[in-house]
Amino acid sequence: MTTQTLTVDGNTIALDAEGYLVSLADWSPALATALAASEGRELTPDHWEVIDLMRAFYQRYEAAPAMRPLVKAMRQSLGEDKASSLYLMRLFPGSDSRETPAKIVARLAGLPKPTNCL
Amino acid sequence: MTTIQNIDAARHDLLVILRHAPHGSAWLREGLEVALVAAAFGKRVALMFQADGVYALMAGQQAGALGQKGTHPQIAMLEMYDIETLWVSEEALLQRGLEPDDLMLPVTLLDSRTLAHVTRENPYTLVF
Amino acid sequence: MILHLINRAPQHPAVYQALAESFSKGDHVLLIEDACYAALPGRQDVLAPFAGAVSALEEDLVSRGLRKRVGDSLEVVDMAGFVSLTELYSRSLSWF
Repeated sequence: MTTQTLTVDGNTIALDAEGYLVSLADWSPALATALAASEGRELTPDHWEVIDLMRAFYQRYEAAPAMRPLVKAMRQSLGEDKASSLYLMRLFPGSDSRETPAKIVARLAGLPKPTNCL
Repeated sequence: MTTIQNIDAARHDLLVILRHAPHGSAWLREGLEVALVAAAFGKRVALMFQADGVYALMAGQQAGALGQKGTHPQIAMLEMYDIETLWVSEEALLQRGLEPDDLMLPVTLLDSRTLAHVTRENPYTLVF
Repeated sequence: MILHLINRAPQHPAVYQALAESFSKGDHVLLIEDACYAALPGRQDVLAPFAGAVSALEEDLVSRGLRKRVGDSLEVVDMAGFVSLTELYSRSLSWF
């Protein structure tokens, strides 16, 4: 259900109450940048490799990962140094403890909220 | 073949028994969801495939004709949640004319006696 | 020891077979709802793996007109007996 909108390149994009895309097809890198800016985040290459990884995970498994599998996917693709929830929390700090990096990245990547992640 | 002598049955926090085929009902999906949620919270989860539940592991599954999501991506995702114990009823598999080679993942076949042992040794068991 | 509750009619043998695979000596089976049809003398083949360890729920037998037709090999328990069984066994598993 649409409860907010975001305007990117003149297009009005519908978001739900938690800021996730209503239609996953609306996603573009420009939208991710705008969504991040609206949350006061600036996306660096370090952010993008996680967002890309999350999108690849979704492509393969049809679900956005919870924290544990996200960290495991990070280990497999980006190496041991980046495979920690601490690294992810530094990169994607949340407004409260329930706002995990897995949820933030899923939102920026234009994916549904991770279902296995309460 | 895994037998009572060499199985480490009781090292799991949760055993989820899956007895339903993909696509036809929501039972399989819901059982897998429960397993994934438990694993996301760091619980050690084992899955047991009995009866038509063995069809969940068939290689070559696809989405439904109208694009309905299947459960095979969830099965493929199990390893990302560190769910590595996949027990399969040997009898259920054979009765359906299947062999381990027909399945999308390596599994551990259990004979009936070992299967009963595993059920007995895992105090937290959910049947789907 | 496990109390296994089953509620499906014997026309679903796969449910009985899955139960049989998980059944250990010392466990008990209680037939409830449509599983009560398995208590009929002609339909008891699905109960063979649990010989001597099966009960059927009286209330569900009565509502199906089966109370007087139950084979001798079965014990009939009422709701209070059902509760006692759940106390007697450390765990219950439902098969449906």
